[in-house]
Amino acid sequence: MKTSFLKIVFPAFAIIMAVGLAFATEKDNLPQQGYAATPSGPVPVQTDCLDEGIIQCKEGTYFVYKDINLTMPLYERE
Amino acid sequence: MSRKSPYTSFITLTAFLLGILFIYTASSKLMHLEIFQLRLERMPQLPPIAHWIAWLIPFTELVIAGLLLIPKYRLAGMYASLILLGIFTGYIILVLQTSDSVPCSCGGVLSALGWRHHILLNACFMAMSLIAIILNTKQYRNKILDKHTT
Repeated sequence: MKTSFLKIVFPAFAIIMAVGLAFATEKDNLPQQGYAATPSGPVPVQTDCLDEGIIQCKEGTYFVYKDINLTMPLYERE
Repeated sequence: MSRKSPYTSFITLTAFLLGILFIYTASSKLMHLEIFQLRLERMPQLPPIAHWIAWLIPFTELVIAGLLLIPKYRLAGMYASLILLGIFTGYIILVLQTSDSVPCSCGGVLSALGWRHHILLNACFMAMSLIAIILNTKQYRNKILDKHTT
């Protein structure tokens, strides 16, 4: 009885739990919309940069901001 | 009656946690495969093979999770996890030393972790699998010794 629990129920529980967690945290895995400050104006970009940090985030050579007015900078992951 | 090893619980728990980790990250990647591929394309040295790696990584993670959850193949799964986590960690450290900006192509909430925390998490799981491998080998030796003494 104990052996079948470890061999069948335990792995099944692990699979269900992991897949469930993946669905539950799906939104956390998506990149956010940002705007790159190019010389021709703000260009929308998909970015993984964070709202808080020290080093300002770049897309290529251009700084990335959270808003289209380029007032809220995004930061690199540290 | 067979003697229960004190190591069994730790080995099972480690396999269970590693299995959950790999299934979770693989599912998260597969749910948004295009985004995962896009992130890989932004990583240094990876763009030419990003398409293949985007499929290969989650597939490998699921195979390893399968090995970990089947007791017969658990030890092989432990070795494979140690190697895979070692490759991930080594690559992250190498890239962080050569580049300022590294996009996170990790799955699920792990992408919200900072790089230091991510390396620390990987190191913890690597240490757990290494200890589990050592304990598993000890357990195997004890079993053989028991057979010879009885």
